[in-house]
Amino acid sequence: MGSLARAYGRPLAAAILAIAALWILALILVPLGAMVEQSLWWRESKGDISLQIDRIYNDIATIQLDRASETDPAKQAALDATLEQRQAEATALEAQEKDPPKTYGLANFTRMSGLHLYIFVRTILYALMVTGLAFVVCYPVAYVVALASGPRKAVILMVALIVPYAINELLRVYAWLMILDYRGVINGLLSWFGVVDLDNRGWIPFLENPSAVFLAMIYTYVLFMVFPMVNTLETLDRNQIEAARDLGASTLRIHRRVIIPHAKPGIAVGCIMTFMLSAGSYSVPAIMTRGQGGDWFSQLVYRQFYESNNWNMGSAYAVSLLVVCTTFILIMMRLFGVGLRDIAK
Amino acid sequence: MRGKDVRLDQVSIRFGDSTAVQPTDLAIHAGEFFSILGPSGCGKTTLLRTISGFIEPTEGRVLIGGEDMAGKGPNERPTALIFQNLALFPLMSVAENVAFGLEARGVARAERLRRAQELLELVALGGYGDKKPADLSGGQRQRVAIARALAVEPAVLLLDEPLSALDLKLRQHMRTELRAIQKRVGITFIYITHDQGEALAMSDRVAVMSRGRLEQVADADALYAEPATPFVATFVGEQNVLRGSVASLTGDLAGVDTPVGRLEGRAKGALRLGEEALVMVRPERVSLGGAGINALSARLASRNLEGPSVNLLCAAAGQSLTVTVPNGPAVRDLPEELTLSFGVDDALVYPVGALAHG
Repeated sequence: MGSLARAYGRPLAAAILAIAALWILALILVPLGAMVEQSLWWRESKGDISLQIDRIYNDIATIQLDRASETDPAKQAALDATLEQRQAEATALEAQEKDPPKTYGLANFTRMSGLHLYIFVRTILYALMVTGLAFVVCYPVAYVVALASGPRKAVILMVALIVPYAINELLRVYAWLMILDYRGVINGLLSWFGVVDLDNRGWIPFLENPSAVFLAMIYTYVLFMVFPMVNTLETLDRNQIEAARDLGASTLRIHRRVIIPHAKPGIAVGCIMTFMLSAGSYSVPAIMTRGQGGDWFSQLVYRQFYESNNWNMGSAYAVSLLVVCTTFILIMMRLFGVGLRDIAK
Repeated sequence: MRGKDVRLDQVSIRFGDSTAVQPTDLAIHAGEFFSILGPSGCGKTTLLRTISGFIEPTEGRVLIGGEDMAGKGPNERPTALIFQNLALFPLMSVAENVAFGLEARGVARAERLRRAQELLELVALGGYGDKKPADLSGGQRQRVAIARALAVEPAVLLLDEPLSALDLKLRQHMRTELRAIQKRVGITFIYITHDQGEALAMSDRVAVMSRGRLEQVADADALYAEPATPFVATFVGEQNVLRGSVASLTGDLAGVDTPVGRLEGRAKGALRLGEEALVMVRPERVSLGGAGINALSARLASRNLEGPSVNLLCAAAGQSLTVTVPNGPAVRDLPEELTLSFGVDDALVYPVGALAHG
């Protein structure tokens, strides 16, 4: 604080600190806090209460009918009393329905069903596979882009990477949908060559296979893998590649021993981004499978929020995903010997 | 390790329209310390990269040990290159760096680390195997690079100005060191530099290169005493240059009329009467006093103390001349008007040609 004030003067230092505080508050503390808070409490299911209330009103209606046809004053009084009592019960339940009591605890986290747990694990595995595949696809691209120079590089970057990204993510996913659909581009081509018979529904159901999601996901997140890698590869002294070659190393060995170790921080950043994005991606699996393939965990979270209308459970799912992914990444970083400081470079 | 000879047979290198190396013949003997000396951009690095296999010559052949290297990549040639910035692998330990070439050749780990240790001892870095290159000093990194290149037992070691990043004292020390290493391993060293001091101090022979062309190939003494062209004369060492026209030609002596009068020297190259010529004489060959041929009077402009010697900057008829004389009481209080002279043998007369400095 003191050094900041000395370097920029008091007003500017205060402004910088305020912006930093706002950043932390608005981007980290408030959204995460809200989500975690939401995940830590629940209310008894409203559905049960509504059912009870409905039942009571049914009773009341029946009693009122009885009351209207009853002539004995004693019985009338008894029915009136019952009516009053039922009405009181209904009012109490209605009050509870309007504002059910909150209960704090970890139940939201422990209540996950076996099926959901399975989907959770599968999502993590799928995200890992997407990350691995994206790395395989991106490494050569990043290498070529990083080592190209001059105007050629700008062209490669523009055409191969920036242009696809100027297109909206949804459009890109829908484009793949059109390509892979039953009557999509690929099946169309195959039918044109006489390989499949579209008229008798003899198409190849690409979209029912998880690899369709992989494909669209790699396409969607490829840039997050490429750019960090390009950045670190660009800093590699090309003489090192030449030195390794001069010392007799094969291309494979040069990559394994010289280039990849150098690019490791960039690879780590790229993998983390791709992994996080694909583990939490909603639109790609939702659009690509259209319910025909297995759900990804993000779709479960969505359902908890908007179909079960259970925000608490949804929050708990989302927080679990976040925690597991983060832990997983930290473990991976430790395994591959990449420190946070390397990544910050 | 055995050195091999390197022969360039009409090698020329062009990049698009620009010619980096003009057709060149060169024979470097096996086991020789050979330097290629030239200003930056003269094509010397291109020539080195051609020998190492990173560049294929546009025309001509490169032969190493009599074998044509056409189509052979840098990893298939019996050469090892030491880069200007050394290009050590920063993430590997020093020992791994040295052992890398052996690793690439499939030598078992224990064996290659043993070899690396031997080589590190050869360059006096026995205890540094576990360190990272970044932990070493400039001179130590230098020696690691040499050890790494020697590990693959090359017949020819190519060095691309490896000393240029070092400070002066270390550079002078490394010259002796490099020379000693070369004597010990006995292989051919081809050393690229723009520093004439390095080239003259270390080499058996030196090639001076300018604008993609070899100007002269000779040992250091011949290069200094008998430069073949005006470029070599001015690039290697200091030189007083006087312009004039050829007035007499007798045997191998030429007389030239210059602004300071008639000067005589040994003719170098094809001179013709009446044509322009350059008279060159080294500052240390000029002496104070004297009379007769090649004596001229000059005014002392300034006196620069170099330590063991003194440079006297003089002016004569609008021409500036430098005289280097040994330091001592005799040159402490000089009169403003001096007589300078030099022997006929000490002056060389060239036809007009490109000079090294402007």
